[in-house]
Amino acid sequence: MLQIIKNECRYLVRSRIFIGISIAFIAILLLSVFLGNYQTQKQEQTYKNAKEHVRQQWVSIDEMNSHSAAHYGTYVFKPSNLLSSLDEGVNNVTGNVLRVEGHVQNEIIHSEASQMQAVSRFGKLKPSLLLQYIVPLVLVFLAFNSVSSEKQSGRLKLLVLQGAKPIQIILSKTISVWLYSVLLLIFILLIYGILNFQSLTPEILTRTLLFFLSYCSYYFIISGLTIFFSARWQNATLALTSMLGIWIIWTLFLPNILMSSAEQWHALPSRNEFQSAMKEDRSKGLDGHNPADKRGLALKEKVLKEYGVDSLSQLPINFDGMRMQADEEYGNSVWDKHFGNNRDILQKQKQKFQLGGIVNPFISLQNTSMGFMGSDNLHHQEFLLQVEHYRRVFIKMLNDQQTFGGSKTGDWGWKEDNAFFKSVPDFKYKPTQISTVISNYILDVFLLILWSILIIVLIVCGTKKIQIV
Amino acid sequence: MRHLNIFLYEFKHFVRSPFKIIALLLFIIASVYGLHNGADLYEKQNAEVERIYKEAETKKETILSYFENNEKGPKNRPWIDVTTPFWAIWNTPTYHFKKPSPAIVYNIGQTEQYGFYKAINTYSSPYDADMAKEIANPERIQSGTLDFAFAVLFLLPLLLLILTYNIKGQEAEQGFLPLVFTQTGSKNWWMLSRTAFYIILLLFVLLGLLLYGAMLTNVFETSSVFWSVFIWVTIYLIFWVIIYFLIIKYGKNTVSNTLQMVGVWLLFSFIVPAAIQQWVSIEKPTNLMVDIIDAKRDKTDEIYEQASDLSDKQLFNLYPNLKQTKVASDTILIKGARRRSLIALINIAMKNATTKVEKDNRSKNELIAKTYWFNPLTYFQNKLNHLSETHYDDYQTYRNDIQNLVDKRIEILVYELWNDVTVDKIKYLEYNKTLKK
Repeated sequence: MLQIIKNECRYLVRSRIFIGISIAFIAILLLSVFLGNYQTQKQEQTYKNAKEHVRQQWVSIDEMNSHSAAHYGTYVFKPSNLLSSLDEGVNNVTGNVLRVEGHVQNEIIHSEASQMQAVSRFGKLKPSLLLQYIVPLVLVFLAFNSVSSEKQSGRLKLLVLQGAKPIQIILSKTISVWLYSVLLLIFILLIYGILNFQSLTPEILTRTLLFFLSYCSYYFIISGLTIFFSARWQNATLALTSMLGIWIIWTLFLPNILMSSAEQWHALPSRNEFQSAMKEDRSKGLDGHNPADKRGLALKEKVLKEYGVDSLSQLPINFDGMRMQADEEYGNSVWDKHFGNNRDILQKQKQKFQLGGIVNPFISLQNTSMGFMGSDNLHHQEFLLQVEHYRRVFIKMLNDQQTFGGSKTGDWGWKEDNAFFKSVPDFKYKPTQISTVISNYILDVFLLILWSILIIVLIVCGTKKIQIV
Repeated sequence: MRHLNIFLYEFKHFVRSPFKIIALLLFIIASVYGLHNGADLYEKQNAEVERIYKEAETKKETILSYFENNEKGPKNRPWIDVTTPFWAIWNTPTYHFKKPSPAIVYNIGQTEQYGFYKAINTYSSPYDADMAKEIANPERIQSGTLDFAFAVLFLLPLLLLILTYNIKGQEAEQGFLPLVFTQTGSKNWWMLSRTAFYIILLLFVLLGLLLYGAMLTNVFETSSVFWSVFIWVTIYLIFWVIIYFLIIKYGKNTVSNTLQMVGVWLLFSFIVPAAIQQWVSIEKPTNLMVDIIDAKRDKTDEIYEQASDLSDKQLFNLYPNLKQTKVASDTILIKGARRRSLIALINIAMKNATTKVEKDNRSKNELIAKTYWFNPLTYFQNKLNHLSETHYDDYQTYRNDIQNLVDKRIEILVYELWNDVTVDKIKYLEYNKTLKK
């Protein structure tokens, strides 16, 4: 079998068309890696400049009332991820700027896609675009007549007469075509590794390895299926058109249709409905800016009792800050409920979509590719959660300063000095570790393995009775 | 007559090719599915617009009830006084909508990148957080919606490929091409007649699909959009026919022709647009809106802290008639009016910042437009986006309209404040009427 694989590889290498296509294709792949990397670096620079600018504004506040500072707020920008130069995932359509301020949890806005007219329906020229859409087609073109041409030339019969079993020949052909795609993958990842050598971490290497394995598995499915069709059908054109049909259904039809269906099965609220519901729930809580608010008055009574005083002026603290924090905490619980509900819906949509991998391994590949490169919706949601946690710490710090920083209730003219503002920490994004989210991709990985096994079974069982002439 | 025979022969060939019929049926199914996706979005957006209208009406009724009951506002918010222009205008619910065009049934375009309704107040800007797109799964938006335009732009060339890939190649492989040429006389006319059959077949299918779409959203209500879409779809079809015809004409066999056709399709559908998008992102990285952030915070603070004389001067430059108002000569009243009018100066600062952002976006669009001559898919996609009013430019017009409404609202507020107007029910209804326009 090893000899057949070697022969197949030699045969491929001797083909001028194959060499020509390979050189052109490798050039495009290289271009995609370089451009992807360069674009990520440029975006990273823009991100750093914006982040530094906003931080500089914050630490330059000479003096300001801490609640005014909560309204002044700050901004968090979505950082670009080194891995996203391989697969950009949802980054093009999600926003990039999030305002962090008191009383309100803002939405992330200003996506890249909204800043220009439509260009590409399949995203930028990143390696993932070529690896997901084009490499499988190249494999189909390489494999569609590999068995049928052997039948027509009589070489298959000769090989069988020499003692080779049809199953060995077909498996060897599958492996040789598959090896070509594996080599392409290794080549791309090596170049990517060399370009980013100084930034490589065990986390990046683990994610890249998982990315590599997912693609290897998918390419095996494509190579095996094409060789199987080539073996089963006398006509090479029929094998080619069948595989093209499968490619169209898998990559263009089903992902779109299944994702849209999942969104309909588990519908998200409209933005207006969502905001109205949040506003409604929030109105049931404490209003930090309204001293006459009933719940505010109840809190006041409680605090006066705790401190054993009769009026706010006797309090050693600033009750306004305490009321603001109570307002925040109520608002946080409202956010947790509504955004939690949205996250649950998104997760249900994702789970349904992942099941689509049963009929379409491309869906599993897309999920793992985006997921392992940290650019899927799950990672985006993790980023949003981190920002919200930061917002809570940020606002609490300002409210606590108002409460315990030395001012008295009603003293809105009290201002904190620059040292305090410098002491407020900046937002630091902690990239999500693959070990914490890997469970979300188990189903996709399992389906890719299952498909690979299915292809082996198909080849073993389906080629027993193939016509060798 | 000879050409008609070739044409009819091709019909026989087509009906005897189950593979081609299945491909055509799949295209029709995908297109119908896409048309329904467009129609659903049309219905959904209209229903949402209707719901928000009703919500605004309810709010308006609540404010009117304050006037009728001689109240100044909600009891739990004593600082609100709807008889003052500031609070009356603040509580005039005004929404601006980007109502979907019926032609959205054919092409969703960039609709899902943007919001389509906006609550307008004096502090609004076209780049506010509530201009964000509808809540949706980003993975779905990223993979795109299978609309009719997707079927036309990406699947129609594939369908044409399946229908025409074996023209000439099959005859050449079977060795009777010289015989065919002898019998038909002209090689080109023989190929053209065969191809013409598929052009006519596809034009009928496309027309049928467009008519079906028109029934879903009353496209005919919108002047000539139906025929414009049909013309552009036809031009697009002809574009691919020419490419494939040249491949068939100069090709040697079926497999080689198929590979070349698929190669060209991949180049125009995937590689060229993706490379252009990558290039534009490198040339013009995503704008993180720092200018707007600066205007919103630092510039606003500056305006609030600047000297009264300077504020007056800037306000009088902006609205020259303010000088003649009642409040302008009242040293007490002017303080409150001036402070509440500063929003007009902030609005100017915000407009200056958004102008920079828009200039940046415009330059990105110009870069993209420069590539149209070798990036036909993007060209046709944006043509369809214009027709269905879902192009970036349509949303820019929507943003401009929002800015105009904000400008108008601020101007009315400033004049009302400086004329020390007291608002009653009639005046409030007048605000509602004027600010909606």
